[in-house]
Order: sequence, then structure tokens, then C-alpha cells
Amino acid sequence: MKRLATLWLRLLSYLVPRSERADWRREWLAELAVADWSWAHAWGAIADAWFLRTDGWTMDAMWRDLRMAVRSFARRPLFTVVSGVTLAVGIGATTAIYSVVDGVLIDPLPYPDSERLVSYNHDAPGLGVDVPVVPHSQAMYLHYLQNARSLEAFAVFSDSYVNLIADGEPRRLKAKQATEAYFDVLGIEPFLGRGFASGDDRPGAEPVAILGHGVWEQAFGADREVLGRLVELDGTGRRIIGVMPDDAVFTDEELWLPLTIDPTNADAGSLGLIGIGRLAEGASIEGANREMQELLVRFAEAHPDDFSGEIMEEAGLRADVKPLRDVLVQDVRQALWLLLGTVGFVLLIACANVANLFLVRGESRRKERAVRAAMGAGRLDLTRQYLTESLLLSLGGGLLGLGLAAVALRGLLRFAPSELPQVLGVELDGSVLVVTASISVLSGLLFGLFPLLGSRGDDLSHSLREGGRAATLGRDRHRARHALVVAQVALALVLLVGSGLMARSFSAMSNVDLGFEPAGVLTYSIALPAAEYPGPERRLAFHRRLVERLSGMPGVRGVGTINSAPLAGQFRSAEPMEPTDRPFPEDGLAPLVEQRRVSPGYFEALGIELVDGRGLDWGDRADGYRGAVISSTLADAFWPGKSAVGRRIRGQGDEHSWEVVGVADEVRFESVRKAPGPLIYLPIVAGPPDQPVGSTVMDVVVRTDGDPTDAVAGSREDLGAVDPRLPLVNPRSFEAAVDDAMAATSFTVVLLGIAAGVALLLGTVGLYGVVSYVVSRRTQEIGIRMALGAPAETVLRSFVGQGLRLTMLGVVIGLAGALGLSRMLASLLYGVSPTDPLTFAATALGLLSVATLATWIPARRASRVDPVEALKEE
Amino acid sequence: MKLRMTQVTALVLKAIAAGHRHGFDIMERCGLPSGTVYPALRRLERAGLLRSAWEDEDDAHAAGRPARRTYELTVRGEQALPDAEGKLEEVRRLLRTLPEAPGAEA
Repeated sequence: MKRLATLWLRLLSYLVPRSERADWRREWLAELAVADWSWAHAWGAIADAWFLRTDGWTMDAMWRDLRMAVRSFARRPLFTVVSGVTLAVGIGATTAIYSVVDGVLIDPLPYPDSERLVSYNHDAPGLGVDVPVVPHSQAMYLHYLQNARSLEAFAVFSDSYVNLIADGEPRRLKAKQATEAYFDVLGIEPFLGRGFASGDDRPGAEPVAILGHGVWEQAFGADREVLGRLVELDGTGRRIIGVMPDDAVFTDEELWLPLTIDPTNADAGSLGLIGIGRLAEGASIEGANREMQELLVRFAEAHPDDFSGEIMEEAGLRADVKPLRDVLVQDVRQALWLLLGTVGFVLLIACANVANLFLVRGESRRKERAVRAAMGAGRLDLTRQYLTESLLLSLGGGLLGLGLAAVALRGLLRFAPSELPQVLGVELDGSVLVVTASISVLSGLLFGLFPLLGSRGDDLSHSLREGGRAATLGRDRHRARHALVVAQVALALVLLVGSGLMARSFSAMSNVDLGFEPAGVLTYSIALPAAEYPGPERRLAFHRRLVERLSGMPGVRGVGTINSAPLAGQFRSAEPMEPTDRPFPEDGLAPLVEQRRVSPGYFEALGIELVDGRGLDWGDRADGYRGAVISSTLADAFWPGKSAVGRRIRGQGDEHSWEVVGVADEVRFESVRKAPGPLIYLPIVAGPPDQPVGSTVMDVVVRTDGDPTDAVAGSREDLGAVDPRLPLVNPRSFEAAVDDAMAATSFTVVLLGIAAGVALLLGTVGLYGVVSYVVSRRTQEIGIRMALGAPAETVLRSFVGQGLRLTMLGVVIGLAGALGLSRMLASLLYGVSPTDPLTFAATALGLLSVATLATWIPARRASRVDPVEALKEE
Repeated sequence: MKLRMTQVTALVLKAIAAGHRHGFDIMERCGLPSGTVYPALRRLERAGLLRSAWEDEDDAHAAGRPARRTYELTVRGEQALPDAEGKLEEVRRLLRTLPEAPGAEA
């Protein structure tokens, strides 16, 4: 308690003027040492410090100022509501986005000592594949596990799906297969039972499983007796050894299985295991990188078959240790900072607007000020009164903004792309509240002090004599208000250009030729348990029966399966491949070719055009007629200008090759934005002829006549007839899947659009306000001019001209700003350059025309002034 | 600087005259919160009715505590005591003439 009180007093002492600070601190700390501290004294210390700071401006005076501020706001409800809501929008938007940024980019991961968690993987810029990290092979994992000194714990994992049968109901669960130290790396303690123990990941160990909290509740009724029970996972009996707590989830897995690695027979060359590690006490990321690089070189030297010097060089394979958080959020990082910058702009515009309102109100209060000054109020008193008002308003706006932020955040999270890992909590927490409060106070100071700058040269007695009716105002004041309008226009234009560029990107993406026809297609996933479908024959038979049954459904026009559907699949596999008639040198790296397995009927069902040859049929298989279809990109790469049909292609250095039976139009697999690379469609049964492998995981595509989701019930029935134990997973229309793939872009488009709209609205209101204010101040002057014979058009033109001059200046500054800032958008744009002249010109023109309207309306009022009325007002 | 005598400043002056020399002791004697007593002390000191000094470091150290600030009356403070007494007498008189709170008689 005393320590807290000491801290409190030390903090407060900074409020005391410097000349008295040391004595003040000494006195209070000494009293604290002898007396019992109560929090009433904390309040007393504020009062005392405040007394010294303000030289007698006591709490009473503060309350008086507050009461006056409240009364003055109550007298002008419109002013209060408009400025309060303006601030609330700015502060609310900033708070909402900041809380996302805080949760995703700033707040540490919810694991103990999470700053020591690293992604321990490789990087291979020479491969030309776009993956977050290049993972490990089994042998690599064992090598690092044994030798890395900079890690306290190290584990690798791979993601997969398993079918769980509990209560007779099949479920498909997302599983993480992980090595022994996985939970030690993250520092998670099990909720029930135990985590993985030494040896669980060695061959011959008893098969075990650890349940996620959600599955434990849903499939096992939160039964604490579940430990030790045998469950059937993909046809294998596994013993449940533990249940993890609710927040143990790393991405969105529901179950953990041991990843079995046989040290005596570990694969060296296939890189599929993602590594995470916990740095040892005192180890740095740089040190870990250096050590890993040395270990990698040693590993490559020990495995020249898989990692020859040439391949290492060409692929550029190297160590890549980085903070775990960076890997989790790299997709959204940029969009989030961009959004935060955007709402920051909106907040600035809101502040400019309120500052302008205060300026205007300040004018109308010159008389009040003069009276107060004449009665003995010093400049300090007036300043304090002004600041009290602006701070009160901004804190009120902040409170309202917080409410808006809470609502906005809920909407934001609902529409946000689902790429964000669940582990990152996004909420309005303490740190967000502190930021909101600071933003409120800062903006209060910003717009509260601004009008005061203009009133420096005020001659109060003059104001009093004139009755606050000076015909024109000081130049300073004009300049301040004009600067605010120019700034608002410039900021609004920057935002408009940004959202215009994003909107054009979105429309370009919507018009991309995906290479297939998503309309009318239903898609869902099925996974065959390897234990129940051991050989290729049974797997192929399953595919065939399913495709044939589904084809017989009424309204179905085509059916096919693929192991990972375009834009919707999670699974990727690629291999270096070469044409047999022009093989690559053995030590060179042939181009990486994406591989997919498809059933007959796939191309027709998804509407993919075959530009040459035929599609696959049931006779094409690894151990029969080795026919495959390649993409036109691959055909052009290997046999430019010639027909690829009839030629042969093989995995680099493989003995067996595939005959190209057809060439399919290119299809966007990975994302809407990314031009497709070379790809080969292999049959369901692929692999070498003597060891054929049948595909187990598949996405089914069903083309229907009507609404594709109507076919879900029929599909379930047909699947049940083929195998009642298999769940049908994630059925949805293919169009919905494509929409999801564009979610990140459309999300950014919508948010930027809203921000730009608000900016435009606030900017226009600001401009309108300034011109109408000038008009109202100059009514008499206009009356005289018109009485002297000035035509109405001249008056109109002079006001519109004044407004447009300000707008033009703002537009020029805004264009320059947008030119500089739109570069930051570059990686989010698609099909449009960050300096697209059309977007720049169109938004500038749009803003100008809205601004013209905003000045024209009050200007017209000026031109209609009746000279007699105007002069009568005298 | 002229000081307007209030009940609070009067109470504080009397407490100091009665030998209470430190901030918290004065507070306790007057039964007023620190947020009232301290500003009053500052005002009295600025008006020249009080002066403050620091306790002897060695004495305080011997007693196992930091040196406290001590307040004592100046000559002008002594002269103001009757004034303070007058103010307090005013309050007492006021209290006597006030009617009892309703219900207190029953």
C-alpha cells in the first residue's frame, strides 16, 4: 500500500511547479512515513498539488469551470450534438481499429514468456513458391532437436483431418500431429490427464490422442472419466490421455495426435513438418539463426542426395528463425496498419471540424469574453475555461465513441476474413481504454487550443465597444479557419483516392477469369480413413461409386472430385517435373509443378475448358495407362508453340513418366489475385506403378441445374449409401467459396469506403460551415454592395470563388499526399497502379464538385440578401 | 497579501497555536481532510501568517523517520489569533441560534 502511495505522490509531484516540487515531495513522503495512509489523502494530495499548480485555482474553481462548461453546452444543443457526434465517430473508429491492431499485432501471444516463442523453419527464395515458411523433413527435425543449443524446446507438427466416431455419429476434426515437446514449447498445461510424454512419438508406442476442450464438451459431454477410454479415429483405436484447456488452441485444431518419427528410418528430403521452438534463457533470435544456419549446412553435407550444393544454392535454402507472432499475422499485418492510418485520418478531420466549430463559436462569444475580462478574469482564466469545455466535450465524445467502437468491433469481427488465428484475442481491454482516453484528451487539447491561437491579438475593450459586431475579422483568424478547411479537404482526398484504388482493385478481381464456372456448383469435403481404405483399389472404387451415384441425382449435370479444389482447398503439393524429351540436368532444379488428383468428370463439373486432348477417365491410373492432364501454362512452358498431347512428363529424375492426354485451361487455384503457375492433374491413383497410392482426402464438386445447396440432402443420402460412417464436411456453394477467397479484399474495400465516406461528409460539412459563417458575418457588407449596384451574380461568384480557392489548394495538397501514400497500398491492389491517373482525376473532380455544391448553397443565400433588410439589421 | 479569514483558516491557525506543527497532526486536530487543510496552510504561509521549516535531520533520523515539515506562527500569525477566535466565536454563536433539527426534541 505504502509503495503504491509513494508512487502516486511521486507522479503527482510533477503537477507541482518546479520551484516547489522537491519540498512538496519531501513533505508528503515524510507525512506518509509517520501516518496511516488512506486513499482520502490521495485525493488531498491532488487538491494540494493542484492548488500549487494553479496558484489558488482550487477544486471548487474546477467544479465551477465544469459547471459553466456544461451550462454553455446546454445552451447550444445543436453545436454540442454535432461536435460531440463528430468526435465520437472519429474516436470510435480509431478505438475499434486500434483494438484489433492491439489484439493482433501488439498484445503478446497468450502463452507464458511468449516473446521466446519462435518459428524455427527455413526460407528458400529461389524456389519461387509463396509460402510463409519452408518446413522440415523428419531427419532435419531430429538433427536440429539433437544439436540446437539456442532452443530450450523444439517440436514439429503437421495439420490433418481425422474422422472421429463417437456416439455412433461421424465427425471430421482438424487435428495437429505433433512431436513430443509440442506443449512444452507453448507452455500449455493440460486441463485433464497429461500432454505428450517421452516416447509417444516413437514407432511402436501405444496410439494416443489428446482432446481439445470443445470436442471434449461436444462429443464426450464434458465427461471427466474420458481419460483412458479408447476412441476410434480414422479406424484406429487410440487411447485418450488428456484434455487441453479452452485457450490452448493455436490455430483452430480440435485434437492432437503424436507425430510418429522413426529415428532409424527418417525421411531426409520431403519438407512438410512445421517447426516451433522456445528460445533458451538468454538466447537471441540472431544467435539462433546463426546456429541453425551452421546446422543446416552440416545437414546438407551429410545428405548430398537430397541437398546437393547446386540445389541448395539454386533454392537459396537457409535458416529462418523469427518471432512466432510474425508468422501468424503476416497476412493481415499490412491491411491493419493501413486501416489504423486511415481512421487516424478520419480522427484528424473530425478534430479539424470541431476546431472550426469552436472557432466560429469563439467569435460569437467575443462579447462574453470581453465582459468577463473587464470584470477581472485573466487570460489564464479564459484559457482554462476554454480548455475545460473542449476537454469535457472530447471526453464525452470519447465515451460515446467507446460505445460506437464496441458495436463496430462486433460487426468488424463478424465480417473479418477468417484468416486470423483464434489465439489472438481482440477485445476492448484496459490498454485500449487507456489509448482511447489519451486520444480523447489529445484531440480535446488539439481543437481546444487551436481557436485560442487565433485570439492572441484580441483587443477586448474594442470587442466590447463594437458589441461583437466587427464587420470583418482579423487576418489570423481567417487564416486559421482556412487552414483547417484546406487540411480537411486534403485529408479527405487522400482517403478517397485510397478507397477508389481499392474499389477498382475489387472490381478488377471480380472480373478475373477464374478458369472455371462457380455458379450452380456445390462443393463439400470427404476424407477416407486410411485404415479402412488401405489399398488404392478400395479408394478408387469409393470415388467411382460416389461419383456414379451422385451423377444419377435429379438435376445434377456433372460430378467430379479433386484432392484440393481451387480457392477452397487447404492442401498443396508440388514437385519439380521435367519433360522426358528435354530433361533438366541432374544437379539443376526443374520447375516446381503443382499437383492435383482428380476424378473423371471433374473438368466438366467445374466448367474448365479442355483446350487440347481429352479429360481423364477411370482407366487412367499409376499402375495402368499413365495418362495425365496438364495446365496450358505448363504446356506452354515445356512445349511452346507445339501440341503437348502425346508427350511425356515425369518427376525430375523419376523412372516413370506420365503421358499428357489433355491440356486444360489455366485455373486460379491459390488466390483470385495470383496468376496460376504450372500444374498437372494426376488420376486418383498416382505414384510409381509398383507402389500406387490412392487419394483419401477430396473435395467433391457437383454441378446442378438450380440452387446448388438444394443438392446437400441428396448428397448426404448418397454418401450414406456408399459409406454411412463418413461425415460430409463443409457443404457450400462454390460461389460462396469464391466470395470467401475475396473476403480480405472486400473487407478492406468496405472499411476504406466507409472511412472515405465519413471523411468526405465531415470535410464537406466543414467547408459549408466556413462559407455560411462568412456569409452570415458579411450580410451587411453584402447589403451595402448590392445597394450600390453590385449584381447578384458577382456576389455569388465571389463567395463560390473563395470556397473553391480553398478546395483547390486542399485538392493539390491532397493529390501530392495521395501520390506519396498510395504506394503503401501497392501490395493490396490488383490490376490497378498505385498512381492510377483515372482514379486520381476522378476522385479530385468528385471532391471538387461536392465542394462546389457545399459553397454554392450558402453563397446563393448571400446573393439573395435584401439590401434593405440587411441594412435594417444595423 | 491579504487573507480572508474563514472557518478553515481559523481552525488551522488555532491548531498550530495549540502546538500541532505537522500537516497530518493539524489535520487530525481540526478533523478536516487533507484536501482542505493543505491548501489552507499554503494560503496562510503565502499571507505571511505562517512560516515553515524542516525538522532537524539528525533528530528525525534518530527517531527512525524522515524529517517532517514544521509550521509555526509568525508574529503576524500571533496577531491574527484574536481575529481567528472571533471567526470561530461567530460560528459557535451561529450554531447556538440555529433551531434544533426537526424531530430531535421528541
